[in-house]
Amino acid sequence: MTLMVSEFLASEFLASQSLGAVVLLPLAAAALCVLAPRAERSVGLVGVLVSAGLSIPIVAAVSSGQTLQLVLGGFDAPLGIHLRADGLSVVFLVLTHAVGVVVSGYAAASATTPRGLWALWLGCLAGLNAVFVSGDLFNTYVGLELVGLTAVALVALGGRSAWRPGLRYLFVAVLGSLLFLIGVGVIVSATGTLDIEQAAGVFAAEEDLAPAAVTALALITVGLCLKLALVPMHAWLVAAHAAAPSAVSPLLSGLVIKAALFVVLRCWLYLTGADLAGSSGATTLVWVLGGLGAAAVIGGSVMALRQTALKPLVAYSTVAQVGYWFLAFPLLLDPDAAEGAFAGIVALALGHGVAKVGLFLAAGYLKDTFGTDEIEALRGAGHHHPLVVMSIGLVGVGLIGLPISLGFTGKWQVATAAVEAGQWWILAVLVAGTLLAAGYLVRVIAPLLMEEFLGHETPPETRNFRAPTGLAVLTLGVLTIVTGFGGVWINELLEVNAPW
Amino acid sequence: MRTQRLGVGMTEAGLLDGLLAAAVLAAVAVAVLPRARTAQSFGFLLLGVVVTLVWLRLGSVDVALAEAALGGGLLGAVLVYLTASSPTAGQPPSAAAYRWVRAVVGIICGVVVAVVVGAVWLRVEATMPAWEEPVAAQMDATGVEHGITGVLLAFRAYDTLLESAVLLFAAATALLLRQHRPRPAALPVRSWGPSLQWTARITAPVLLMTGLWLLFAGSTDSGGAFQSGAVLCAMLIVLHAGGVDLSGVHRWLRPLLVAGVLVFILAGVIGPVLGEPWLSWQPEWAFAAVLGIEVLLTAGIAVGLYAVFLGMLPEDLPSSQTPQEVSR
Repeated sequence: MTLMVSEFLASEFLASQSLGAVVLLPLAAAALCVLAPRAERSVGLVGVLVSAGLSIPIVAAVSSGQTLQLVLGGFDAPLGIHLRADGLSVVFLVLTHAVGVVVSGYAAASATTPRGLWALWLGCLAGLNAVFVSGDLFNTYVGLELVGLTAVALVALGGRSAWRPGLRYLFVAVLGSLLFLIGVGVIVSATGTLDIEQAAGVFAAEEDLAPAAVTALALITVGLCLKLALVPMHAWLVAAHAAAPSAVSPLLSGLVIKAALFVVLRCWLYLTGADLAGSSGATTLVWVLGGLGAAAVIGGSVMALRQTALKPLVAYSTVAQVGYWFLAFPLLLDPDAAEGAFAGIVALALGHGVAKVGLFLAAGYLKDTFGTDEIEALRGAGHHHPLVVMSIGLVGVGLIGLPISLGFTGKWQVATAAVEAGQWWILAVLVAGTLLAAGYLVRVIAPLLMEEFLGHETPPETRNFRAPTGLAVLTLGVLTIVTGFGGVWINELLEVNAPW
Repeated sequence: MRTQRLGVGMTEAGLLDGLLAAAVLAAVAVAVLPRARTAQSFGFLLLGVVVTLVWLRLGSVDVALAEAALGGGLLGAVLVYLTASSPTAGQPPSAAAYRWVRAVVGIICGVVVAVVVGAVWLRVEATMPAWEEPVAAQMDATGVEHGITGVLLAFRAYDTLLESAVLLFAAATALLLRQHRPRPAALPVRSWGPSLQWTARITAPVLLMTGLWLLFAGSTDSGGAFQSGAVLCAMLIVLHAGGVDLSGVHRWLRPLLVAGVLVFILAGVIGPVLGEPWLSWQPEWAFAAVLGIEVLLTAGIAVGLYAVFLGMLPEDLPSSQTPQEVSR
């Protein structure tokens, strides 16, 4: 009996069915939360844990070297929809669930979690999973819509003052979706199919489709860069992420923008593939993206340095970190450097996911405890909340890119690839960005740690580290360092169905 | 909402097409150029009608129906309500120079996008979608006869399910945020004249029959859950405007909202239980499953859109009818 159970748990049937379940079961849990708002917290927690549990067979199967596929309804592509999970899908699934479970713990324990959060967060989780396991372009669009709408709604839960940033985010997200959809339309009219693998096959076989591929890619990239706030399309992010509730900002910065990055990588590397290396249009595009990435790294960091409040500072830090991913884009068309640059971008994105969630959660914790996130008013908070400030230090290691963290692994891989391709300016930007990141993080930590507490006569009651909210922050700090050891595993995973 | 028919028969553009194109531009101008909200709202309503005609002209009856119900009907209700409740509110007029810069940048962006997209559209040698043959071959397995219903509820049921979830979350958000809405100083038009009440009571049965017809015609002809749901929502709005007591609907708002999505997922899980993929309909009960899901989805879409409308109103219902009370 136990043998049968363990066989079932290791079977491909379970793993491939989990591709559907990991989307539809959180969605069902979300619907239950809408139906019974009083039970939303328990239903929500169960839903997140079920989703995390279902991702385990997927991760296990893919790490054994297998690409999973599920033909929904038994209708083959191009008619039906295929769900697929390869190495790229799995690393983002792991990030989503590792971070999602911790933030859910924080939200469940925190007294400031707004009503209605769980239904929307579960919907967002279902959407993220849908994007990561989708094998179909239109379905990817639907998944992005689900993520985008729930993310906007989550921002709006921050109260009246969050409505205006939320509405602006909605406009940006919808505009981005439309551009993506037009790009998908171009791909369909060129290849006749929505399935990513089939379309990739047509693009590889017919060289004269390259101009169509580049145009589609340009539309898709601009649309998605709106959603992930690449400079100069970043202003909405700072307002929205800073205004969102404490449990929401980490999800937006850590996970939601990763969905758009995932689709960008999927389209650039898996859909059109290396056949664009000779195309002048694609070359121009990656250099523009690289330039914008450099501008984001420097500009975002400088803006972060100039903030006086914690949450906007953290939001500008996200703008800067988005820059690193695109800084490495020019390397993707260089056959020698592409593999390293790709691994570096993924490692940076994953490392940012963990560290930024930790930093936003810590900022939210301080804001909820002290009623403000002005750095000036938080002076000396470290005396009463030493472990929170220590966690900020730990996630800072990841954001600056010091060893041991995925931030370091990623920067190292991008730097190595840049040297191989002879692009020294990328190194210069990496170094400048690292120094600036160290600057704005010290600006946060130093007043918290060094100075006397000035904000109140008597500090508010410290619930410090017996409180689950504080433990959640600490967990992410520790995770930032621990995941630094996972670089090799991530590289092995990315080999599964690698684009080269 | 998606356009299912990509391959439009290329025929010579006639006088009618030219007139329609001019009408679209005129409607857009009416919607964008005036500064008064009333005029803008009517511009959008006009645009809804014209775009519906364009879709009809292109032969996409399903899209035309959806556009008429959503773009014309529902958006109309929302716009008229907002215009009536705050005709003057809006952004303070910005400096004239700044406005010019905005207009010029907007026009340049529009022209660039239109030229690029147009050029691509014309230059890409359009391949006919590779799914036309399989659709014809596999229709038998779906239990329905109309191609679009087959695509929506069998071949690409997963997309439809996720889209329904998007609407579910939009409605849930509207209900949530409604609790934070301040009461406007003056409630907009509440005293409907007897003639409007009359009209509401006469129109409602017609809308009900139209909605049901669109729903059940969907398995063999144009129509379906989205169009029908929008028409039924229009009926609810008309009844609400006519002062009819809808507390029964309000009590069942949340159950109706989620039933479609939940039953859809439950039907989808039968596949894995039987050793098939998710969302597999067995031929024996495919028709029953598709019909049941479509009926519940229609109800969900109707109350979902209605909830978005309700979300706009101040919470002036007696406490027994407010959404959070409903769930008890």
